[in-house]
Amino acid sequence: MKQKKEGHATTLADTSERLRKSEDRYHKMIEEVEDYAIILLDEEGSILNWNKGAEKIKGYGQSEVVGKHFSIFYLPEDRAAGMPEMLLNEAKTNGKATYEGWRVRKDGSKFWGSITLTALHGQDQEVIGYSKVTRDLTERKLAEDQLKAIAEQLRKKNEELALSEERYHRMIGEVQDYSIILLDVNGIIQNWNVGAEKIKGYRVDEIIGKSFQIFYREEDRQRRLPQQLLAEASKSDRSIHEGWRVRKDGSEFWGSTVITALHDERGNIIGYSKVTRDLTEKKLNEDKLKEYVHELQQRNEELDRFAFAASHDLQEPLRKVQTFADLIEQNPGDPAAVTRYVNKILTSADRMVSLVRSVLEYSRLSKTVSMKVETDLQQILSDVLTDFEVQISEKNAIVNIGPLPVIRAIPQQVTQLFSNLIGNALKFSTGAPVINISAKKVSRDDINCVSEFLFALEYHEIKVSDNGIGFEPEYAEQIFSLFQRLHGKHEYSGTGIGLSLCKKIMDNHDGCICAEGRPGEGATFNMYFPILKVPA
Amino acid sequence: MTERSIQTCFVIDDDIDDLEIFAMALQKVDDSINLRSASDCTLALKELKENVSYVPDYIFLDINMPKMNGLQCLPEIKKIPHLKDVKVIMYSTSSNEELKQTTRKLGADDFLVKPGKLGVLVNHLNRILEKPKS
Repeated sequence: MKQKKEGHATTLADTSERLRKSEDRYHKMIEEVEDYAIILLDEEGSILNWNKGAEKIKGYGQSEVVGKHFSIFYLPEDRAAGMPEMLLNEAKTNGKATYEGWRVRKDGSKFWGSITLTALHGQDQEVIGYSKVTRDLTERKLAEDQLKAIAEQLRKKNEELALSEERYHRMIGEVQDYSIILLDVNGIIQNWNVGAEKIKGYRVDEIIGKSFQIFYREEDRQRRLPQQLLAEASKSDRSIHEGWRVRKDGSEFWGSTVITALHDERGNIIGYSKVTRDLTEKKLNEDKLKEYVHELQQRNEELDRFAFAASHDLQEPLRKVQTFADLIEQNPGDPAAVTRYVNKILTSADRMVSLVRSVLEYSRLSKTVSMKVETDLQQILSDVLTDFEVQISEKNAIVNIGPLPVIRAIPQQVTQLFSNLIGNALKFSTGAPVINISAKKVSRDDINCVSEFLFALEYHEIKVSDNGIGFEPEYAEQIFSLFQRLHGKHEYSGTGIGLSLCKKIMDNHDGCICAEGRPGEGATFNMYFPILKVPA
Repeated sequence: MTERSIQTCFVIDDDIDDLEIFAMALQKVDDSINLRSASDCTLALKELKENVSYVPDYIFLDINMPKMNGLQCLPEIKKIPHLKDVKVIMYSTSSNEELKQTTRKLGADDFLVKPGKLGVLVNHLNRILEKPKS
């Protein structure tokens, strides 16, 4: 029994000892925990116990703090709001309360504490106290706050950006006079504005996802102009180009384009902006102006040549009149000489008259004076031949006329044209002249004349050829110059204006004339009148 | 009348009347001067090139002529080796200053504007032909 008793006592003591040791260890464990303040409160909230963590976090030594109410760790405003009591109540009611918030250290500094208050219960489930575990999460809190602040900043910035982007989109979207589009790196259209629709004719849904090459002419696409412009923009940040572009309906406009490369923060190209303005009107005005300038220059040059040649050719007969009159004066007693010089004076005067007439004719050949009408060349030619009836029969000339077309022309001028050519063919002949006149349609590429004005695709070719004296091929162009003659005045009469008149008449008809010839083998004059496609 | 060393002149002009007037004036200046003429530059050049022994003292050259004109003819004359010292006088109706400059650049020695009176032409020829030969 004793043994038993002893044994029992030993067991109890052992147990008690073991328990005490275990509690000790337990106490130690809690005491030594540094990262958590673990404190024990009585049911009123007064501090019973203190560990290293609590000292470390809150700055008080155990002796300073035991017996004090745990509300000393709270901010005055939290205390005033009754927060410590509320937390105790919550823990009392729910078994525990958790809370995060600013707490005060002994030195008055603050830390962000994360607390868990747990109610401790006695045998009868009554609350006998609380454990309070606090962790200093100041660093995490600060980091969190900073993150939150950054996030908030970002959110605000995004909001601003979104607003600005929307305004920007709206601004670009509603610009009407410029086509402003966004291309990806491959030139695929990403974005489209009202101006683009207005200028190019495509709606947004038709064009997004297509290549911007669609706006270029076939020949420009073939010579890879679109790619070249992108390449240039990649290299030099932007490329500027003016040229004809194609609308959806196939019509063309004169576009002035700036392609700008867009870069990301690392400098990689992420796409292109392409701003195009329709300068068709400006271009057409410029072209018209250029045409006027060109025409004026030509007129001026013509006038210069005219004044130069006229000063010479018109002076010549006058000078002769003076000289022969002078000679008559010096030879009053020589009737034969006087008669001879008087005749020379008359010849010179005649020449002067015909020169002045031709010059007048030439200067009257202005485009603006006469209107083009449907003109039957067959009829014109038969009228011209009637005028030459006497000469034709005198020279036993044969004139063969093939079927001739009806063309849009100035009747007086084509009359003059045929009149000059038939007149030349009759004049520059040795035997009986044979003159052939024929017509056919040719394409522009078949025309051998030197001319910069051939705009039509098809032309009426009118050929006038003779079997006369011809000319050296090297003079084929010169003969159309004003006052240009290939023969002495005493061999063949003439003013040197006839063929320049013909050339001017062909210019007035947007056509051209050129000649082929060989000495002794006759001359051929080819004239080309444009065939205009009249819109139905 | 001054003693002249000039013996021969050659005139190129397509105008028969002007050739006649020129001959008349030259005769009045000095009827011992031998004058030959051509009415076409191509023919004139052919004759001048082929006849190496013929070296005129002066060549009078019209400007406005059919086919090859005086401006085209002048450099061709200057290219003929045995004529390198021959004086070439342009002889034209035109009195255009620019034209005169052009002919000077091409190597012409003088420019004679065809006058309206025979007497005036005689005076000009006297002035030109009296100049000492350089």
